[in-house]
Amino acid sequence: MDFGLTQPQELLRDSIARFLAQDVGIERVRRVMDSESGRDEAIHGQLGDQGITGLLIDMDLGGSELGMQEAAIAAQEIGRAAAPVNFHSAYVLAPLMLAGADAGDRKNALLEGIAEGSSLITPILDAPIDDGRIDGTVLYVPDAAWSDAFLLETGGSLYLLDSSISGIDITPLETVDDTRRVAEVTFAGLDLGAAESLGGSAENTRRAVQAAQIALAADALGAAQKGLHISVEYAKERKQFERIIGSFQAVKHICAEVLAEVDPVQSLLWHTADAWDGGSDEIDHLAPLLKAHATDVASNAVTMTTQVFGGMGFTHECDMHIFYKRAGYDRQMLGNPTALREQAAAVMYG
Amino acid sequence: MDTSIGSEYNELREEVRAFLTANEDVAVPAGPGFGGDASQVRARTLEWQKRLFDAGYAGRTIPQRYGGAGHEPDALASLVIEEEFQSAGISLGMESQGTGMFVPTLLHFGREDQKQELIRPTMRGELIWCQGYSEPGSGSDLASLRTSAVLDGDEYVINGQKIWTSGAREADMMFALIRTEADAGKHGGISYIVLSMDTPGIDIRPLMTMTGDASFNEVFFSDVRVPATNVVGRPGQGWEVGTYTLRYERNMLGRSNATENYFDGCVDILRETGLIESPVYRDRLLRLEGRVQAMKYHQLRLLTDMLKKRDSGAGGLIVKLNNCQLNYDICALAIDGMAERGVLKRGSKHVRDYGNWQRNYMYALGLIIGGGTAQIQKNIIGERGLGLPREPKPAAA
Repeated sequence: MDFGLTQPQELLRDSIARFLAQDVGIERVRRVMDSESGRDEAIHGQLGDQGITGLLIDMDLGGSELGMQEAAIAAQEIGRAAAPVNFHSAYVLAPLMLAGADAGDRKNALLEGIAEGSSLITPILDAPIDDGRIDGTVLYVPDAAWSDAFLLETGGSLYLLDSSISGIDITPLETVDDTRRVAEVTFAGLDLGAAESLGGSAENTRRAVQAAQIALAADALGAAQKGLHISVEYAKERKQFERIIGSFQAVKHICAEVLAEVDPVQSLLWHTADAWDGGSDEIDHLAPLLKAHATDVASNAVTMTTQVFGGMGFTHECDMHIFYKRAGYDRQMLGNPTALREQAAAVMYG
Repeated sequence: MDTSIGSEYNELREEVRAFLTANEDVAVPAGPGFGGDASQVRARTLEWQKRLFDAGYAGRTIPQRYGGAGHEPDALASLVIEEEFQSAGISLGMESQGTGMFVPTLLHFGREDQKQELIRPTMRGELIWCQGYSEPGSGSDLASLRTSAVLDGDEYVINGQKIWTSGAREADMMFALIRTEADAGKHGGISYIVLSMDTPGIDIRPLMTMTGDASFNEVFFSDVRVPATNVVGRPGQGWEVGTYTLRYERNMLGRSNATENYFDGCVDILRETGLIESPVYRDRLLRLEGRVQAMKYHQLRLLTDMLKKRDSGAGGLIVKLNNCQLNYDICALAIDGMAERGVLKRGSKHVRDYGNWQRNYMYALGLIIGGGTAQIQKNIIGERGLGLPREPKPAAA
């Protein structure tokens, strides 16, 4: 019995945390947030140099061939740093979907590019492919404005489409969480022949989506933990009525309640990532249950800890809103708590 | 991550299964399905406790010289036993103040003769204990207690009053915190004293609780004389001895396997009533399930910390707060699932599961308050877990 992270996993966590603290500090995050495009061009290469983009990619393709536990570790630290990257999409969903593609040089080259941090591939689930044409509009596509290629999926089949060809119209959408951006993508009746067919299976897609849900849950957990941390630090310094505000039970109890909710989510995350890695059947129920529970807990955590800051908590200057919005994005993407609870219930109770 | 238990425990697992099969006639079911006539319930609970202790499943690490099985502390063996009992739906015995709180304290602080005399009968359910801590003026601020004992020759003479004393009328013995030195400061003048409940001068008055049970009592002491040798630990060491016990109470009130049994029972009710098909009920059920699962794996994390002799920090402090509230919320959903049937109480025609859901709903509220209120738990989590400052003492008037 050794429930929790192994020593190498703890070392990985610490090294990712160190890298993010040094190179992706909150000033850099804020610069990206304040920019028009919301793009941090350098971050993909940096994450590649750190081995963070290739955690789920085979070693002979330049990855480290680790598992979902390691990817969840990275996602949690990335959430804690509010780093400007759609990790769940670019480095969990994309490589895992591609891993299920037909073997070949093309697949290998794509995975090598992801591991290196040199190619950004955005999956589009349930793509508008019909009768040999790609025709229609897809909303809320992460990173669409600067993706190198789209990995279109329909019924488990995968098609790779270069994003620079004509007939694709990309409109960035204004989102609340400025640290990650999405766009509207319209395909103007392209011939499916313009895309490269890569095979694939519905089963592989299902597992890849579950992995991405775990990553979003981990991101939300990291954001909630960071929000709690900075609010507790503030509560230890700020004085009102000649007292440190953290000594008031009204403030102390907010922090204690949030900790009591957030802390056990770590264990559920570890267990769920482990179930994914072990190929357990339990995952069909656990992945949606985890994401529902973790993002619900995170939403409440950031709601409550923002209030510890009083009026400051409502300002743009205070960092709290960054984690607040981060948790909101994690909550809605790939199924929100209400939808996912229904999904988990259907698995368990029919 | 390694959640396996190791094949060296297979033999133990088989042994537990064989024991459960051989003792089917007396085994007490865990969860909502056990109840009925109070004296029968009590007799069977005591008989089951005897068998558990004699077979080494209750008080497993208690040394053989005190009648125990004398096993080395082994959290994995305990886990195997718990798993088997849980999957059989059988109770792991009394989680009483005697077995769960007094015995661990006595093992740590007691004299050899006290251990020889008291541990075995307590563990076998032959000596029933109650706890004399709270007083009318000393609830959350326990150390302000005023019940006093004055030394007269080789006896203490006790005067004062305890309150919220669960099971005082059924108890043979009490362990109590009593002020023995008036001038030794708030925490310094308290002693931990054991006494027989039939000592002259003890007057017990039942307090009816909201569950309808008179399980609480007031206990009055008028010149109650007990031998001075009845102190556990040193005179004046009572605060340390008594709070060591409280740590066990916090663990006892926070166990999660009962929670899972109740959750499963709640699912059964929703299935029977067809409400499992209702999106609204499903949503409530799945909200609870997220919390149940998170606490289940949280316990494995705490177990791992224990095996590695690592401090769990705030992780250990949140268990009582979370599980008591979770148990309460599970009962609430089950009762809503019964709709109007949910208003019935024990003994009524048509009542489901002997009225255990209604009783436990209210009892769980008692546990949210008891053993350190939820609000006190939040102070402890905030101060010890997060390092927030204590509330300053009010300036003297």
